[in-house]
Amino acid sequence: MAFLEQHIHDEPKTFVSKYLISYDHKVIGKQFLWYGIFWLLVGGLMAMLIRWTLAYPGVPFPIIGSLLFPHTGGVVPPDTYAMLFHMHGTIMIFFAITPILIGAFGNFCIPLMIGARDMIFPTLNMLSFWFSMASGGLLLLSLCLPLGAAAGGWTSYPTLSTNLGQPGAGQTLWLLSLFLFGASSTMGAVNYITTVITLRAPGMDYFKMPLTIWGIWLTSILNAIFVPVLGAGLILLTFDRVFGTTFFLAGAAATSGKGDPVLFQHVFWIFGHPEVYILILPAWGIVSDLLAFFSRKPAFGYKMTALSLTAITVLSTVVYGHHMYTTQMSPLLTQSFMTLTMLISIPSAIFFANWLGTIWKGSINFASPMLFSLGVVFVFGLGGLTGLYLASTSIDLYLHDTYFVVGHFHYTMAASVLLGGFAGTYFWFPKMFGRMMDERLAKIHFWTTMIPLNGIFTGMMLMGWAGMHRRLYNPFIYEFMEKLMPLNKFTTYCAIAMGIAQITFIYNFVNTIFNKKLPQAENNPWKVGTLEWDMPSPAPYYNFKEIPHVKCGPHEMGNPNLPEGKDFQYQTEELVKA
Amino acid sequence: MATKAQNLEEKMFQQSVAMTVTLIAFSMLFATLFLGFFLVRFNTPMWPPVEIQGMPVFLPLLSTIIMAVSSFTYHRLQTREPMRGFYWKLTFGLGVSFLICQKLLWSALTAKGILVSNGNVPSMVIAFTWIHAAHIFMGLALLLWLGRFIFKKKEELTEIKLINVGKFWHFLGVVWLLMYLTMFVL
Repeated sequence: MAFLEQHIHDEPKTFVSKYLISYDHKVIGKQFLWYGIFWLLVGGLMAMLIRWTLAYPGVPFPIIGSLLFPHTGGVVPPDTYAMLFHMHGTIMIFFAITPILIGAFGNFCIPLMIGARDMIFPTLNMLSFWFSMASGGLLLLSLCLPLGAAAGGWTSYPTLSTNLGQPGAGQTLWLLSLFLFGASSTMGAVNYITTVITLRAPGMDYFKMPLTIWGIWLTSILNAIFVPVLGAGLILLTFDRVFGTTFFLAGAAATSGKGDPVLFQHVFWIFGHPEVYILILPAWGIVSDLLAFFSRKPAFGYKMTALSLTAITVLSTVVYGHHMYTTQMSPLLTQSFMTLTMLISIPSAIFFANWLGTIWKGSINFASPMLFSLGVVFVFGLGGLTGLYLASTSIDLYLHDTYFVVGHFHYTMAASVLLGGFAGTYFWFPKMFGRMMDERLAKIHFWTTMIPLNGIFTGMMLMGWAGMHRRLYNPFIYEFMEKLMPLNKFTTYCAIAMGIAQITFIYNFVNTIFNKKLPQAENNPWKVGTLEWDMPSPAPYYNFKEIPHVKCGPHEMGNPNLPEGKDFQYQTEELVKA
Repeated sequence: MATKAQNLEEKMFQQSVAMTVTLIAFSMLFATLFLGFFLVRFNTPMWPPVEIQGMPVFLPLLSTIIMAVSSFTYHRLQTREPMRGFYWKLTFGLGVSFLICQKLLWSALTAKGILVSNGNVPSMVIAFTWIHAAHIFMGLALLLWLGRFIFKKKEELTEIKLINVGKFWHFLGVVWLLMYLTMFVL
């Protein structure tokens, strides 16, 4: 195949061309990172309000409660509570995790790690970020409406999300916001997929790509295929709300004609289940690389890990029905979906075992990216195992819509992805901003996050096992749930502790970027051999003066044939043999 | 260092990859709408249901013919370089005619009392045509963009641009053909 060498574009010099309307993939990656962190804080504050209400129903939220809810004396009102859990889910999934894991790391890492000078379509890349900004703006706007923002749950099932369940423009703005977000994601996906296929440096075969790129690339494929499915559902629901169509209205909700609310569930989950993997595949890829780098060993079963990620990607497209066991699905279908869902555990177990194989007998360096990566191994193990319960039809019928489900998906989608995101941030920070984050603070951040995080999500699973339903404003008006109050308080204390722990990260992040007294980072502080570490820190605007020629894999470490004092080699070096 | 010819070849390859991915994304959007239509159709005891009885036949047929002819004229636009301007005008005109036909179709449906609020079958038929028409607008915008190169900046007109706009236009034609067959014929 012919190789395309991109031109070196002019150096951006003005503030606007450098930081706002930038075509540079690294700047766009950083824009996504800031954007995601902003929404992470907004979504996190919402989580605090939710947890406070569950631990202290009817008690004013401390300090800022009276400012946020003056008419109730600082108590979170029931309608606002519904809005909070809807917006918390939406914000964390679409506006925090997606921009950080896919937008920031995808943009920053893909060209640098495959040896390209930029994304293949820089303008499309820039548009993708600004569409995302517009989408976030619409969502913020919906919070300011007189009837409030959307409040039907992040899944927005009809009839809750139709005009009957959600009068006012909040839900409509939510739909438009997500539609714009979808357009942004699809643009990003087209760019990522094409860039990886066409701009890999000479010698960079698919099986020489870092696993981070594998994860992000597979995510992009899922994004390109399944985000439009959600788009179709959102359009139809918007038509129901705005033009009076009746796709999803039935029974008394439909003034004339009849539709089918379950149809939306099908459309939503055809997208929604792959979305789980859309979020988690980049984190798995990052962790797979970092475990090898910090164990100073080649990744165990590299090819099998890449193929397992691919198998999971394929299987994730045919299991959506396990979210709908309680919709009177045919038993034949439930059994099929159960079997297919269980099948995912095979490739998952393979790459999980490969992770363990990678660290086995490694010369482990417990630097902050490694600590967070090990955290992912732990929480994903727990989250993955609890998924097996929910895949089983008979158990799911009992656990459906309980806090067990909330705990499970937070372990997999929130905890794993969040820790993976932190691992990536600490790891690539020197290449992004040219300085090293404070390691001591990073380690404090890890432990003060990891311990309460497990308290929160284990607490949730225990509550769910005991039968506590999700989305109830005050579950304790039901006698059987009264005894769960102490567990709820414990979970809330853990959530507050985890929230406070993030101050360490914010301080470390902001201080390192803006404190000019801090020393410049080395070009390769972690001593790894992927292409981005063979250039100055921060990465220059042109990435590579000469396009590199790749000669070996991404994890060539601990090779006994290497000369004394060196335990890794760059991907541009010939593999050292005996 | 890659040669100029290699770069051109590679550029065509990458644009082709990007357009293929884009069309897959659009296909999924329409596939979801088709899935919705078939779920509704197979759960409707009698077909056609009373809400859509008396649907116009001629206008959808005319729209199909227009789309087919426009695909043909676009093909000519690509292959007959001396007449490129003429075929561009013809394709663009046919695209606009298709939209006029759609507008007449919606008016005819309203006149017959087939409204979006009458249930999910009329909702599906009408919304589907709305969404397809919105894509035809996008197609016309792409044709206008291409027109700039055909009439003004001739030196910047490349084979890649012609192929990619063509793929999108033919794709819309195929989607309409499927819509016509499933909603108006079968």
